[in-house]
Amino acid sequence: MANHYLSGKEIRAIAKQNAKEIKRLEAYKNRRAPESEYLTQMHDDANILEIDDLHSYFFTEQGVVKAVNGVSFNIPKNSTVGIVGESGCGKSVTSMSVMRLLQGPAGQIVSGEIRFKAKYGDATKVYDIAKMPIRDIYKIRGDQIAMIFQEPMTSLNPVFTIGQQLDEVTFIHRPDATKEEAKAKSIEMLNLVGIAMPERVYAAFPHELSGGMRQRVMISMALASNPRLIIADEPTTALDVTIQAQILDLLRDLKNKIDGSIMLITHDLGVIAEMADYVVVMYAGRVIEKGTVQEIFHNPMHPYTIGLQKSKPTLQSDSDTLFNIPGNVPNPIDMPDHCYFKERCSQCTKACSGEYPGMIQVSPTHFVACHLYNEEAKA
Amino acid sequence: MVKYILKRLGYALLVLFGVSLIIYFLTRLMPIDYVRDKVSQLQTSGSVVSSDMVDAMYASYGLSADAGFMDILQGYFNWLLDLLRLDLGVSFKYGIPVADKIADHMGISFLIALIATIFEFMIAIPLGITAATHQYKFRDYLVTVLVMVGISLPAFFFGNILKSWLSIKLGWFPASGLSDPTQDLFGFARILDYLHHVFVPILTVVILSIGARMRMTRTNMLEVMNSDYIRTARAKGLKEKTVINKHAFRNTLIPLVTSLAGLLPSLFSGAIITEQVFDLPGIGNIALQAMNVGDIPFIMGYNMFLAVLSVVGVLLADLMYAIVDPRVKLE
Repeated sequence: MANHYLSGKEIRAIAKQNAKEIKRLEAYKNRRAPESEYLTQMHDDANILEIDDLHSYFFTEQGVVKAVNGVSFNIPKNSTVGIVGESGCGKSVTSMSVMRLLQGPAGQIVSGEIRFKAKYGDATKVYDIAKMPIRDIYKIRGDQIAMIFQEPMTSLNPVFTIGQQLDEVTFIHRPDATKEEAKAKSIEMLNLVGIAMPERVYAAFPHELSGGMRQRVMISMALASNPRLIIADEPTTALDVTIQAQILDLLRDLKNKIDGSIMLITHDLGVIAEMADYVVVMYAGRVIEKGTVQEIFHNPMHPYTIGLQKSKPTLQSDSDTLFNIPGNVPNPIDMPDHCYFKERCSQCTKACSGEYPGMIQVSPTHFVACHLYNEEAKA
Repeated sequence: MVKYILKRLGYALLVLFGVSLIIYFLTRLMPIDYVRDKVSQLQTSGSVVSSDMVDAMYASYGLSADAGFMDILQGYFNWLLDLLRLDLGVSFKYGIPVADKIADHMGISFLIALIATIFEFMIAIPLGITAATHQYKFRDYLVTVLVMVGISLPAFFFGNILKSWLSIKLGWFPASGLSDPTQDLFGFARILDYLHHVFVPILTVVILSIGARMRMTRTNMLEVMNSDYIRTARAKGLKEKTVINKHAFRNTLIPLVTSLAGLLPSLFSGAIITEQVFDLPGIGNIALQAMNVGDIPFIMGYNMFLAVLSVVGVLLADLMYAIVDPRVKLE
C-alpha cells in the first residue's frame, strides 16, 4: 500500500508536477480555436452522447486523484441512462466533465473524448466537448445540455426571486425578448412542472418554497432551454420519499415531452430500476459493468454489482441485519494496476493480482470488467 | 417594522445609560487631575496659590481632591441631569460648551473620513473580487501582498513617510494644517485649498484601510463562488462575467453593505493619529488633547456622541440586512 505520510520533498515534487500540468491544461482550456478543431463524428448515429476513455483528474497537494479514470459509455437517443455507484466513485465528476463544470484549477479533464450530437433546428453538429475551448462551451451548456443538481435547498440563488432566475434562461437564448415574454415563458415552464399558483411562485424567493417545489423550479429552469440531454445529479436524494416519486414521475413525463435523453446519477438502485433503460455501474473512477436495466438487475455479473444488489434492503428478507460489502473504497491516489475491487471481493482468483481487467462483452449490450469472465485467463 | 425600531431604540437608551456610567467612572479614575495640574502650572509660573483657592477651584469644576465612590457617583448624576436638560457642560480645556466644540471640529474629520471611506470601498471591492476570481494566481498574490503591507504599517509611521515624500521632498502638498494662512481665499478657491491640504491625510487613511476591506471582500467572494447556486448559474449557460458580477457579487454585497452601516461612528470619530501627524484640527486631535489633560465634560461628551452613533450604526446595520437579504425578516 502507498504510504500516505508525505515528506516535504515529496510534497514539493507533487506541487511542481501539478503546477506544470495545470498550466498546460488551463492554457488548453482557455485557448481560442476554430470550430473545426472540435467538430467530430459519432461512432454510432443512434447515440446522443458518447463518452470515450474519459480521464478527469484532480491535482491535489497529496497527489493526482484520478476521479474519472478511463470511463466509456453511450447515451442513446430518447433513453435514460442510470449511473450508479457509491460516494466518491466518480459519477458526479463524469457529469461535471460533460458540462465542463469541473472546478479549476485543481479539477481538469486530462484526456478522452465526449462526443455530443447537438441539434440546431434541423441541422446537427457533433462536438467533442472535451476539446472545446471553455469560451465556446455556451454553444451547448444550458442550451443543448441542462443539469439538475442534488441540493435544491442551496442550488437557487437566495437573493433573487424565482422569476428573475427563470427569466434569465429565456434571455440567454433570446436576448431580444421583452420582460413580458420572458415572464410568460417562465410561467409556462412552472406550469409544465406541475406547480400550482405559478404566478405566486414566480414572485417568491427560494427560501419561501419547500424542497420539492425548489427541485421542480430547478427542473423547469433546466427545461426552459429545450435541452436535448438532461443530466440529473441525484435529483431526489435530498427529498423525502413521496416527493421523490413525484419528481421521478415528472422527469419521466418530461423526457417524453421534450423528446430527449436523461443521464440519471444516483446511488439508489430503486430509482434506477424504475427510471433507467441502461445502467452504468462505476467503482473508483472506472466503469465496472454496463448493460440494459434487465441485464444489470436480473443477471448482475461483477461481484461489486452483485454485492450492491444484495445490500438493498427488502421487505421479504427475514434477516435482522443488512448485507454489506466489507471494506471501504480505496484511496484514489496512486492506484496499483490491478482490479480496484480486489481487496473487498469475495471471489478473487489468481488473475486478480494481475493487471486491470479489460471490458468483456457478454451480450450485445452487456459488458463487465472482471477476470471471472475472462475465458482466456481461465484457460 | 416601526415597532421593531422603537423597541430597539428603547434598548439603545439602556445601553447608553450603562455606557455613560462606565465611561464616567473610568474617566474619573484616570490618574489625571485637571485642577492639580492647573495649580502646579500656576505655581511654576510664580503665582502663590492658597489652599482656599485650590478648594474653590475644585468646587467650581465639580471635582474633589480625593474623590471617593460617592463623590464620583454624585458627579455622574450631576452630569446626567445636565444631559437631560440637553446640556453637555463646558469644556475645562477649551472653555466653551462641549457641544459647540464638537460641532466646530467634526466637519473636517467627517470630510476626511467620508472621502476616505468612499475611495476605500471603490478600490478594495474590485481588488477583492479580482483576487478571489484569480485565486492562487499571480494577481491574487500581488494584491494580497500589497494590502498586507498596507495593513501592517502603523499610521504614525506611514503618514510621516508619505508626508516626507509627497510634501517635503517633492513639495506637491502642504505638510500640515488645514488651510494656507498666508492667503485669504473665498468660495471655490477656499475649497480647493482645503482639499489640497487634506489630500495626503486621506491618502494615508485609504491605503491603511484598504487591506482589511479587501480581505473581507475576497473571503466573502470565495465563499460565494464555491456555493451551489453559482454552479447552477454556470450550468444555465450564463457567461462567466454575468455569474461573477450578478450572481456572486449580489451575495458578496450582503456583509459589505451591513459593514457600511457599522462604519457610522468611525465617520465622525476622527482619525486620531493621522490628524495628529498632519496637525489637522479634527475632532480626533481635539479629543486626544482633552483626554491628556483630564477634561471630563469633553471626554464624556465626545464618547457619548460616539456611543450614540455606534448604537444607531448597529441598528442601521440590522435594518440594512433586511433590505439586502430577502431571507432576513425583522420581528
